[in-house]
Amino acid sequence: MSLTVPLPTEVEEAPSGATVTASETVGVRRGGWFTKIVIIAVVVLWLIPTLGVVITSFRPETLADTTGWWTALGHPFRTSEWTIENYRLALDTGGFENAFLNSLAVAVPSTVMPITIAAFAAYAFSWMEFRGRYVLFVLVVGLLVVPLQMALIPILRLYTGGASIGGVQIFPDLDLTGTLPAVWLAHTAFGLPLAVYLLRNYIGSLPSSIIESAKIDGADHFTIFWRLVVPLSVPALAAFAIFQFLWVWNDFLVAYVFLGGTRDTRVLTIALAGLAGSRGQNWHLLTAAAFITMLLPLLVFFSLQRYFVRGLTAGAVKG
Amino acid sequence: MRYRRLLAVPAVALLLAAACGGDDDDDDGGAAPSEGQEENTGTVNLMSAGEPEEVEAYQQIFDDLINSETDYDVEIESVGDFEEQFQIRAEGGNLDVAAVPQPGAIPDLVDSGSIVALEDMGFDIDELNDTLGESFVALGEYKGKHYGLPTNINLKSMVWYPKDDFDAAGYTVPETWDDLMALSDQIVADGGTPWCVGFESEGATGWPATDWMEDIMLRTAGPDTYDQWYKHEIPFNDPAVLAAAEQFGDVMFKDGYVLGGAQATPDIAFGDAPLPMFDDPPGCWLHRQASFINANFPEDAEAGVDYDWFQLPPIDQEGTLFGGELTVVGSNRPEVVDFLNRFIAEDVQCEMGGVQASSRISPNVDVGPDCYANDILADASVILTDSLSSGTGRFDASDLMPAEVGSGTFWTGMIDYMRGGPDNAESVLDQIEDSWPS
Amino acid sequence: MAIDTEEPTAPPEPGAEEPAGRSPARDAVTIGLFALALVVGAVITWVVLAQALDYMRDQDSNRLLVIGLALALGVGGIFFLFWAMDRLVNMLPRDVSERVRPYVYVGPALVILAVFLIYPVINTIILSFKDNIGQDFVGLDNFKFVFTDPSMLRSIRNTLLWIVLVPLCAVSIGLIFATLADRLRRGEAIAKSLIFLPMAISFVGAAVTWRLVYGFRPEGFGSNVGLLNGIKLGLGQDPVAWLTIRPWNNLLLIVIMIWIQTGFAMVVLSAAIKSIPDEIVEAARIDGASELQVFRHITVPSVLPTIVVVTTYMVINAMKVFDIVYVMGSPEANQTEVIAERMIQWFFLSNNDGRGAAIAVVLFLAVIPVMVWNVRQFRQQEAIR
Repeated sequence: MSLTVPLPTEVEEAPSGATVTASETVGVRRGGWFTKIVIIAVVVLWLIPTLGVVITSFRPETLADTTGWWTALGHPFRTSEWTIENYRLALDTGGFENAFLNSLAVAVPSTVMPITIAAFAAYAFSWMEFRGRYVLFVLVVGLLVVPLQMALIPILRLYTGGASIGGVQIFPDLDLTGTLPAVWLAHTAFGLPLAVYLLRNYIGSLPSSIIESAKIDGADHFTIFWRLVVPLSVPALAAFAIFQFLWVWNDFLVAYVFLGGTRDTRVLTIALAGLAGSRGQNWHLLTAAAFITMLLPLLVFFSLQRYFVRGLTAGAVKG
Repeated sequence: MRYRRLLAVPAVALLLAAACGGDDDDDDGGAAPSEGQEENTGTVNLMSAGEPEEVEAYQQIFDDLINSETDYDVEIESVGDFEEQFQIRAEGGNLDVAAVPQPGAIPDLVDSGSIVALEDMGFDIDELNDTLGESFVALGEYKGKHYGLPTNINLKSMVWYPKDDFDAAGYTVPETWDDLMALSDQIVADGGTPWCVGFESEGATGWPATDWMEDIMLRTAGPDTYDQWYKHEIPFNDPAVLAAAEQFGDVMFKDGYVLGGAQATPDIAFGDAPLPMFDDPPGCWLHRQASFINANFPEDAEAGVDYDWFQLPPIDQEGTLFGGELTVVGSNRPEVVDFLNRFIAEDVQCEMGGVQASSRISPNVDVGPDCYANDILADASVILTDSLSSGTGRFDASDLMPAEVGSGTFWTGMIDYMRGGPDNAESVLDQIEDSWPS
Repeated sequence: MAIDTEEPTAPPEPGAEEPAGRSPARDAVTIGLFALALVVGAVITWVVLAQALDYMRDQDSNRLLVIGLALALGVGGIFFLFWAMDRLVNMLPRDVSERVRPYVYVGPALVILAVFLIYPVINTIILSFKDNIGQDFVGLDNFKFVFTDPSMLRSIRNTLLWIVLVPLCAVSIGLIFATLADRLRRGEAIAKSLIFLPMAISFVGAAVTWRLVYGFRPEGFGSNVGLLNGIKLGLGQDPVAWLTIRPWNNLLLIVIMIWIQTGFAMVVLSAAIKSIPDEIVEAARIDGASELQVFRHITVPSVLPTIVVVTTYMVINAMKVFDIVYVMGSPEANQTEVIAERMIQWFFLSNNDGRGAAIAVVLFLAVIPVMVWNVRQFRQQEAIR
């Protein structure tokens, strides 16, 4: 099946204005001082709370509890102000490596599974005609409102004992509680509405000329989906992957309910929750823990940035 | 042609099914508790609302004393929002054992079929009454059967004070309520502030105030009226309760008595509240709070030297207020029953009392004061076991009331009282009474 | 441009042959075989999965191996499932196959959602008519409570505030930031990461962050380590218990959510902005349009569908907010209640399943206007396409 559309065979670094176009000569304010000032202002505003957290995570306990973090800025070179003890303690938490691996084992499948399922569904909602198209789609999106706490008990019951109506077993007793697949399924389900929503929006906004010309060339839906739509949707897939990974990585509730809090199965968020102290007063430890858990999602974010490429569809339209 | 292709699918499928269907899903990892009904194996999962450090220590004790001797494993979990997680597990059908701090939740759990009766598990109630005190065991009673096993108790009627400064200032420990008030006046006259009070606790803000009310209620209206109060045999705005609330107000609202004033108390974290006692000179001198609070004191503060405690004095009569845990069971299995028997036994309970990070006192009357990590707990344990044996102690009323009141309107009502002032007592009690579920 | 709104004129199916004569009987048999093949295919998948499942559910299995297996089965397996179903559909008569295929594509998603979300919704709706332990029916009592209790009414008022302010601010700031960042020569990734950072901090981290901003300690209980009170003290004023000042404390909490969610809006809108073809923008600039005009007349209309999506998501998220309100002080005492917080309070803490469920149902109903708006937008966009 040959397609007359040039598909991107590699993904390059996001060209932040690196390509010289006609606009360079025309737009003086393009990337100019106004842009820079606004960006810096917003970034600074956003960073101030975070700055407090970073600084506190490097301060000894007594100082963190008795003086404001901004005072540390007054004399940044005094060594008594700083310590890496908090990080050491957080990393020393019993079973840290195990919890880290557990978190990874929960997060990775829980991210890729919903993407796969949602991509197909989103394609169908965008480019296929069928009865109930609008209704079903709106239903899926409407499920975004379901607070997950309401779903926990029914799902737990299903996992633990299966379900039957009038003595007839309609959902088998899989005894899934406390196992990884239990959490994967739950996270997949909770992530599907947003995934379908985001992906449908993106896939639906692809120029229809591309799809049409592929159809004229004789491509069937599966081929169009796999060879055309998916590569073009990479920014949306990457965006959702980031959010889902983040959400699952930082999740506490779903992991606790379906996987448990015992030594073997608990994830990182649960393991580090113990640092909070009886009234959540251990600022110094909590901030260090927050930073440790934040590193991996940020890494994921950075590494997926390359998929936010400008002009993926631009070249495609010319076909 | 088409048909052949379609037929190929089921043919292959049948072959595969025949091949794989042989070995069934026999899980080999110890993950499924439903196995081992006969052999006493598997895992017993204990949910606890205790602090992570405490729970880690307990796990160690279980490993040493129980897991090493039995075929099953006990895993104890420290749970953050205990009430929420407990309800999820209980209603979801995934509960093994849980140490519940609020016996008031038991009736609903029984009605919804989530927990198992002690009698059905083979426990002898008379034996339990002897070991753990009838008044405590009786708290788990509902519709003729018992559902909760007492496994932890803590003393609430304690007033903490900075001993070194106290003695240096020439104050003496009061024996009666009037003496306590006179002491407070003395401190004010000397230029200090007598009471450290803090009620903030995030979503649970207000609970320490309910402890005050209960302590006072016990000492003014007496244990029988107290029982009528939490059972709702008298209304919440009964004159006896109003009198207790006003007595509470006498302490809170009197000028200069409370550091920060009564209206600031809902904003002060309960764990921060005792800290000014350790300043020089003490910011405040008296802190009424349960036995677990000394875990929040400065690390270098020494029990018996820098701080000490005395029992909240009687008003019209004596009283001992305590809180604790009743352990409930969701799954009646042999290993669970075996674990429970070991859990309340003297050796395990004694070890648990010895854990530094904990403030656990055992309801087992055979556990002596020498089991405890420090003198404070040891002295408290004596008072407690005495009151259990003689039946004069009473459990925290708000933990016995329906959750809507005991963990809801009673808490917020107290906050309104503090913020609204002494004249508000009646309307606050009226509101709480209105909220009691019918 | 051919617009795909009618019966799809199906391109010739690969491998599907047009039989010489089609009779209803043959069609029926074909469809029957198709159904059988589908069922059997599902069974095979099930058996294979069960074996792998056993390995993966064992708590002692090597975690990395488990991840690998999950990826292979999860992604590979799911993909194979779709491919297999697609192939099966191809064997149906052409007009039937095109009618069935979309359902095969959305089927797995719908099945999962039905079990994990729709079933709980139905469960909740039924519970909302029952008493506090979910046993006897009490008719509309719970709903009466929802609309008469003062705390509930306050929560409804507060939630309205949240669902207006959070999307408004987060989407506007996110959009403007994404537009401007797109133009940076260097540092775009860093700027976006820094705005995105609050999303990456777990909720516990965010709570600590803002306690270090809003925190208050009265005289004698230690010094104030909250930023706002630090500023106040620096200005010579007395510290304030920020989170207890009614009704402004609601705004303070709303700020927290805006701080977190703007990153989301920005990332999604950024992806959308990057798919606006360069030529259109350049053409406008060459024609002399100012940056503001480009923004108003090209950028915004082009990403309007995405703005709808992001706004909808923000609104729904704001409707569901719970943690922020619960963790920052006592919601009832500070009058910062919101609907989802009330739901959790009643369902889990006051142990009243009926009331909690009724509040959840109110939440479900509240999302309907948002959905209606979405359908309208959806239709408009497709008409243009």
